[in-house]
Amino acid sequence: MNSIIALSLFGIANLFLGFLNNRKILLPATLAFVLVALGLNLADWNQEYLWFNNMLRTNNLSVNFASVILVATFLVVAVSRGFGDDEEHTHPAEYYAIMLFSVVGAIMMVTFENLIMLFVGLEILSVSMYILTGTDKRNLRSNEAALKYFLMGAFATGILLFGIALIYGATGSFNIHGIEALVLTAAGGSAPALLYIGIVMVIIGLLFKVSAAPFHFWTPDVYEGAPAIFTAFMSTVVKTAGFAALFRLLGGAFTGVYGTWIYILYFLTMLTLIIGNITAVYQQSFKRMLAYSSISHAGYLMLTATAKVAHTQSSILFYSLAYSVATISAFAVLMVVAETKESNAEKTNENFDIFNGLAKNNPLLAFVLTVSMLSLAGIPLTAGFWGKFFIFSDAFQRGIVVPLVVAVLMSAVGIYYYFKAIISAYFKEGDVPAIELKPIYKITLIVTTLLTIVLGIAPDLVKSIF
Amino acid sequence: MINFIFLFFFLLIAISAIVVLWSRNVLYSAFSLLVTFLGISALYVMAGADFVAVTQILIYVGGILVLLIFGVMLTNKGDRKTDDKNDILTESRNRFWGILVAMGLFTLLFYTFSGADFAGIHRQNFGDNEQSLSSVKGVGVQLMTEFVLPFEITGILLMVALIGSAYLASSRKSDD
Repeated sequence: MNSIIALSLFGIANLFLGFLNNRKILLPATLAFVLVALGLNLADWNQEYLWFNNMLRTNNLSVNFASVILVATFLVVAVSRGFGDDEEHTHPAEYYAIMLFSVVGAIMMVTFENLIMLFVGLEILSVSMYILTGTDKRNLRSNEAALKYFLMGAFATGILLFGIALIYGATGSFNIHGIEALVLTAAGGSAPALLYIGIVMVIIGLLFKVSAAPFHFWTPDVYEGAPAIFTAFMSTVVKTAGFAALFRLLGGAFTGVYGTWIYILYFLTMLTLIIGNITAVYQQSFKRMLAYSSISHAGYLMLTATAKVAHTQSSILFYSLAYSVATISAFAVLMVVAETKESNAEKTNENFDIFNGLAKNNPLLAFVLTVSMLSLAGIPLTAGFWGKFFIFSDAFQRGIVVPLVVAVLMSAVGIYYYFKAIISAYFKEGDVPAIELKPIYKITLIVTTLLTIVLGIAPDLVKSIF
Repeated sequence: MINFIFLFFFLLIAISAIVVLWSRNVLYSAFSLLVTFLGISALYVMAGADFVAVTQILIYVGGILVLLIFGVMLTNKGDRKTDDKNDILTESRNRFWGILVAMGLFTLLFYTFSGADFAGIHRQNFGDNEQSLSSVKGVGVQLMTEFVLPFEITGILLMVALIGSAYLASSRKSDD
C-alpha cells in the first residue's frame, strides 16, 4: 500500500523532472524511485494489513509478488539507457512516468482484496501498456500493434467486468473472502448459473492478459511491433501481475467450485503449451520467437496456478523471477545488437541472423545471451531449470499426469528454438562489430546473468523466502 | 400500466438494435444506436437505478455516440463505398459466424439470467427495507466512504490516459 502511494507520487515527480532540460537526470531518478518503492514494499514483510475497508491486503505473499515486479521494473529501467539521445522522438519523462504508474496497477493486482481493485489495477496496467506499445510513433508496426492491443484488450476487459458483475449478482459481494465463503456454501446446494458463468468470464479475462491460448493471438504482433524495451517490460511485469491475480482467485475465491473450472484450465494449459512451443519453432524473428516463448511460459505457470494448495505459490514466484530475469537479459542483448545493425539497414532487423558471429567480437553479450537462452529452455545450473523442476514436481505430487507429460515434452521442443540463437552467436559466420556498452548496461547484464546462475546453483537462497 | 411501458421500451430497444445491425447506411445505424441507448436508460429508471440511467445518457449518448458520428464525419473521404444519394455504406462480412456467435452468446446469457433469483439477492443484501426513491445519494455516500480507495485510484488511471493521449496526439516538430 505504501509503495502504491509512493509510486503514484514518483510518477508525477517524474513528469515534473521532464521540464528540466536535462535528460540525464531521469534515469538515476527513476532507478532511485523504484528502489524506494521496493524498500517500502519490503517494510511490510511479516505483517498482515487490510487497507481502506478491505480494499487491499498486504501479507508476505503480496510482498513477494510485488518485489518480483519491482525487481523486474528496476532491471528494465536500468537497460533503457534513458531512451537514447534522440531528443525529438523520445520523451523519457513520460515513458518513465507511465512505467511507474503501470507498476501501481500491477501491485494493485497483487494486493487486491476486492474485485473492484482488481479491475482498476488491471485497467491502469493495461492502459499504460497500450500507450507504451505505441510510443514509437514513426513506426507503422508499432502503431498497428498499439491499436490491435487496445481493441483486443478493451474487449477482454469488458468480459472480465461482465464476469465480476455476474459474480456480484450471484453472491452479493465484491470481497474475495466474502465470495470464497459464499461460493463454498453455494457449491453444496444449487448454485445459480450466474456464478459459474461469471467465474469463467473472469478467468477468460485474466487469461487474455497473460496471453494463454486460445486468447494469445494478439501477443506475437504486439510483442513484435512494440519497442523492444517495452516488450521486455510487458512480458515480465504484466505476466507476473496477471498470474498473481489468477492465483489469488483460483487458489482463494473460486476454490469452492474447483470441479467446474479445473478441467477447462487443464485443457487450456495443454493448448497453450502446444501452440506456444510448436509455433515458436517456425519463427524467423527472434522477437517473435520470444513472444511465443512467453505464451509457452504462461502455459507452465498455468500448470501450477491451477493448484488449490497454498505451497505452489513459491513455485509461481520462483518461476516468475527466473523467467523475468532471463527475458530481460535476452531483450537487452537483442536491443544493443539490433541498434548496431540498424545504422546500416533501413528497417530494424530482429531476426535470428543478427546474432551471427556475435561471439567473435562481443564475448560478454554472447555469454549473456547463452545463459538467458539456457535458463528459458530449462537447462540445469540455471534458474530456469529449477523453475521448471518445482512446477513439474508440484504437478506430479498433485497427480495430474496428462498435462505434466505434455509440459515435459513441450519443454524438450523449447530447447530446439532457444538453441537457434546460441548456434547463431557461436557457430555461424557473420560480422558484428565490437559493441561499446555503457557501464550501467554492462553491470545490469552481468547482474542478471549472475542472478540466473546463482539461482541455478542455489535455488533455496530465494525459494526459502517465498 | 407499468407492464405496458416496459413492453414499449423493450420493443423500442429490440427494433432499434435490429436496425443497427441490418442498416447498411452508417449514419442510420448510428442514430438507431441513439434510440437503443435511450431505451436502455429508460429501463434503468424503471429498475430504480436512476444514477445509472443518467450516467448511461451522459456517457453513451453524450459522449460515445457524438464521438462515433464525428469519427464517421472525419474519416469519410477517398475510396468509400457510396450510392447515388452519397450515403456512406458498409458491407457485412462473416455473416454466418457472426450470427452463430451471437446466437450462442444469447442462449448462454438467456439461460443464465432466466435462472437468476434477483429478488432473493436483493433481499439478501438489503433486507426487506424498501429502497428510497433516488439512488444518487446512496451512491455518493458509498463512493466517499467504503469505496473511497478505488474512487481515488481511478485518478491514476485517468492520469495515465491523459499523458498517453497527449503524447500520442502531439505533433512532431521536425517531420511535418
